[in-house]
Amino acid sequence: MRYAILLLAAPYSHQASHSALRFARALLARGHTLEGVFFYHEGVHNAARLAAPPQDEPHLVDGWAALGEAHGVPLQVCIAAALRRGLLDEREARRHGKQGASVEAPFELTGLGQLVDLGLRCDRLITFGP
Amino acid sequence: MHDETHHGDLLVILRHAPHGSSWLREGLDAALVAAAFERRVTLLFLGEGALALLEGQGVGPLGQKGTAPTLAMLEMYDIDRLLVEERALRDYGLDASMLLLPARPVGANEMAEELAAHSLVLNF
Amino acid sequence: MLLHILNRAPDTPACRQALSAMGPADRLLLIEDGVIGAMSTQRSAFPGMEGRLYALHEDLEARGLLDRHADDIQVVDVEGFVALTETCERTVSWY
Repeated sequence: MRYAILLLAAPYSHQASHSALRFARALLARGHTLEGVFFYHEGVHNAARLAAPPQDEPHLVDGWAALGEAHGVPLQVCIAAALRRGLLDEREARRHGKQGASVEAPFELTGLGQLVDLGLRCDRLITFGP
Repeated sequence: MHDETHHGDLLVILRHAPHGSSWLREGLDAALVAAAFERRVTLLFLGEGALALLEGQGVGPLGQKGTAPTLAMLEMYDIDRLLVEERALRDYGLDASMLLLPARPVGANEMAEELAAHSLVLNF
Repeated sequence: MLLHILNRAPDTPACRQALSAMGPADRLLLIEDGVIGAMSTQRSAFPGMEGRLYALHEDLEARGLLDRHADDIQVVDVEGFVALTETCERTVSWY
């Protein structure tokens, strides 16, 4: 089956991101495809390039990036939600006159339409909230 | 035998009141985007979300826009199927005359049916 | 038949709303802090749900609740979680 995940909570503050990553890995191990992960509301913080948790704690940003790269899963971050919360890629940083960027590949800033598209064309959309 | 009526593509459940958080705004944005892409969208106002429909809302103390202007746009996007939890109306003492937009009150059984009758459910 | 996923304990708005929106054949999976509802002492929070109530093993385990959950709650691991999502028509998450 084709799955999609919607993640609405920031890493560390809530368990949602852990749960979602566990679920994502399990569904892939079971032979399903993960057509995309959409990060919305506080979920955009899962794309924070500068996250630096202690060595002995799970690195969720890296976890999502690794999953995205290993399995070709699009990691789509709602651009409106991201900008409001200070999560900008290089292009947006330049556009807004900011130094440095807080989002990089494989995370991509996209429009909310991608969530609707993912949700309607996949067999299952699973939401993980705070 | 369960009636397989399909009421729409997307059901957006809105459970938060205006201003206190971004949930209502972000839920409405998702609904509007879906409608802009020609999907049939139903809104269900549940719990505190019922207060999103209360008339007389204004901007926030720091000038935050709030969601009343967005609700005013729903008709333009062809979102005309609005449902509101009966219990929430009772709890908050709301009747139709106090609401910004017409919304059909629904009880628990109808809510379950609505969840089953849409292709996708997003809960905010 | 829908699968509802709940990550909050009983006596929270999320739990109340999940219960009121569930259909008679729908299933409820408790995850994260929702597994607090799987405790034997909390079983009455979910009336009439025999055979339709599930809890995620790893969340029970992390919270020291593996020996404290109600007998008739079906404990599933994360693969079982995926399996539950396969057999329902769609999922609705309450948080």
